[in-house]
Amino acid sequence: MSEELKFPDRASKTGSDSLSESEKVVVRAAYLPPIEAASADAYWAGLERRIMSRVRAEGAVESGWWAELVPWARIGLAAAGVMFAAAGLINQQIVAADKNIASYESVVDSAAPEALLSSDEPFASQYGSAEDDATAVRFFLTSQGR
Amino acid sequence: MRIPDEERALAEAARAGDQDAFAGLVRTHQRRAYLVARAIVTVHEDAEDAVQEGFVRAYQALDRFDSSQSFGAWVNRIVANAALDIARRRKVRTTEQLSDALQSPFRDPAVDAELGRRLAQALAKLPERARSVIVLHDVEGFTHAEIGEMLGIPGGTARSDLHHARQKLRGLLKDLRD
Repeated sequence: MSEELKFPDRASKTGSDSLSESEKVVVRAAYLPPIEAASADAYWAGLERRIMSRVRAEGAVESGWWAELVPWARIGLAAAGVMFAAAGLINQQIVAADKNIASYESVVDSAAPEALLSSDEPFASQYGSAEDDATAVRFFLTSQGR
Repeated sequence: MRIPDEERALAEAARAGDQDAFAGLVRTHQRRAYLVARAIVTVHEDAEDAVQEGFVRAYQALDRFDSSQSFGAWVNRIVANAALDIARRRKVRTTEQLSDALQSPFRDPAVDAELGRRLAQALAKLPERARSVIVLHDVEGFTHAEIGEMLGIPGGTARSDLHHARQKLRGLLKDLRD
């Protein structure tokens, strides 16, 4: 039994399994705009006017592939601005932290053991203390400095 | 394929900025473009939107159009892409809505009304791509390769979709057989 539809002028006559001519006519009619045949020309003229109206309004604005990038470029610029500001803030904080460390180190360096050693040497020699005593004093003073 | 001199001249003038020449191209190709769009989106209003969007995109891309090629084939591909975009965005329509969309209130008296109603119902039950392929091939006469280019699928897939669509359509209409 044939699986093909049996319409009077069906396509099997031509050896093809495509839709028959009557089916094509029906399907084509179903896919036409829902307008009366008498007003078809007016419909197409109207569609042409609407297309050209949009072409005049939008057509000339963007004329190349790079135009596709414009909306993304705006987003990219905004993101770059935010990142630049954040980077500046972070950099400022790093500089401030470096300054604090430098100040701290300068204070620590000024109270270094060498400075204390040189200052207590006259004391040790003046009182003729034993070397162990001088070492103990140096240790004590150094520990106080920290 | 030989491109008519008039079409080539219109395309070149349009590319040079002549909007009247572009209007001439719209006039010549909008009916076929509408059928391409309608085969994809089924609903008339969506097809109109796709045609308008497609021609605007084509106008914006005229500098990339090779005037040794057919303007119609080129614009049909662009319109098909616009229709596919609309089809992806829109909500899923029911079989009843699609069937209604395929039944024009203004019937051609030459068209068998019962056959039209049954075909509309059967087409509405086909998967979206199968419906597009069968209409574009069997009704509009596009080749598998052209349909593949328009729908973004290989030509072989269009051929196989067409085979399955025909089988399914015949299954849906088998009670109409003698």
